[in-house]
Amino acid sequence: MTQYAIVTDLNRCVGCLACMVACKAVNNVPIGSYWNKVLRIGPSLKKGATSSRDVEMYYLPVQCQHCADPECVKVCPTEASHKLEDGTVQIDKSKCIGCQFCAMACPYNVRYLNEEEGVVEKCTLCEQITGQGGLPQCVIQCGGRARFFGDMDAGIEGFEAPAVGYDADRSYDALYTGNRVTLGELAQDFDEATELHRLPDVGNGPEFAYILRDREWKGGE
Amino acid sequence: MELQWPLILFTTLVAWSAGTFGTQGILALRGGARRSQAALVVVSAALLALSGIAVFFHLEHWERIFNGFGHLSSGITQELIAVVAFAAVAVAYFACLRRSGEGAVPKWAAVLAVAASLVLVAVCAHSYVMAARPAWDSVLEVLSVVGASCILGPATVAVVMALRGDDVSACGTLALAGAAIGAVCIVAYAAFLQASGGSFVEVGYYFDPTHPTAAMADPEGAVGGQAGLLWLGAVAVGAAVPLVAAFLGRRRGTAGAWKVWGSVGVACALVGAVCLRVAFYELGLSVFMFY
Repeated sequence: MTQYAIVTDLNRCVGCLACMVACKAVNNVPIGSYWNKVLRIGPSLKKGATSSRDVEMYYLPVQCQHCADPECVKVCPTEASHKLEDGTVQIDKSKCIGCQFCAMACPYNVRYLNEEEGVVEKCTLCEQITGQGGLPQCVIQCGGRARFFGDMDAGIEGFEAPAVGYDADRSYDALYTGNRVTLGELAQDFDEATELHRLPDVGNGPEFAYILRDREWKGGE
Repeated sequence: MELQWPLILFTTLVAWSAGTFGTQGILALRGGARRSQAALVVVSAALLALSGIAVFFHLEHWERIFNGFGHLSSGITQELIAVVAFAAVAVAYFACLRRSGEGAVPKWAAVLAVAASLVLVAVCAHSYVMAARPAWDSVLEVLSVVGASCILGPATVAVVMALRGDDVSACGTLALAGAAIGAVCIVAYAAFLQASGGSFVEVGYYFDPTHPTAAMADPEGAVGGQAGLLWLGAVAVGAAVPLVAAFLGRRRGTAGAWKVWGSVGVACALVGAVCLRVAFYELGLSVFMFY
């Protein structure tokens, strides 16, 4: 089995919003819609804070979590929303009747009605790029090299991002033939049991994961 | 989420249609409302047709409705199946009425009418029970729509019976009981909605970097903002007034009284049902409602 997903190392995310902009540009996302959006969580008092200035915060990029058991797929009357063998949740626009029940059933509010086309849209995990061996645009463009793309079933150590370093080839074309760094190579150590988080799960099984070290994860799992 | 007016009208009209058909089925079991039976089937069918027109305005691409339509786990598919079953029972019921010529139907047809009505309302309401929306995720939401049909149906039947010259006393207790059941269901769901503010994910202070001056999500404030619509509109107007109207209609018991109090009950129940559905959408925030 394959389950494509993105793991974000929140300790590396600087909140530059490059992932949001990249997504908008490459997918032609309408004004007012966000297939990927960055939230600033905090500032909030650290555990054991001794003053009101003793605070912490982090940025949280949120998009379709390409869930294991997606509610949006269950409620779609025409099976326009469907789960592919690569684990991603996609929308066949030619089948979508625009009933928006998928948008209602999504716990993360990451589905939008494209009013011009009359169909619901969301993050496709850039299937037009990943289908050819590339990386999602938000991963390519990440300013802090915080985002990694890969197969969750194969383990997150092998998740990939564009290579880093002064001598790295920065052309997009090179990303189709390798030229990458893995999460295992780049990320600092973390405890999978306590420092790897998911968005709140109401039975849908979100597949994206977030690494957050030495700070308190807000909002439950 | 945004108000979905076509769906608000659809749910309300379906509750009204099914409530009417179910009530006439109950009366038919005892051989009542003979002069009104045919007219009531027509009223119920007209309401169902109106609800169908309303729901089509919700669909962005209704012309694609048969483009793979039929995913059984989808609430919309289940609704369509329930509507078709309801319509088939209504046609059979009407055929039985025409055959008897005396406004009577066999017991099986009456039982089917009650069952189809209950199933249709429950299925249409159940489509919205979603774990993603804490304010919707309760059997009380289903019961609130069933409750609306319990108020609307008997009150409508009482008015039609009064207009057609039937013995309305046969419907008096049913109307009062329906109004009481409906009131309990609506109050219970209003209380659930009121309490839903505490069931959302909290991340403490948060901030949308693209809208630095926009207000943060405030579920408690959203719930507070709907209190008037919930308790004045849905409960006082939509549940209490129809209960009082049914009580007054039953106490007087005359056709004239039912024409007045039945109409008051129907009008107020409709206003209340719409108020409840508006609050329902206003409070239909995602469990993770940060954008």
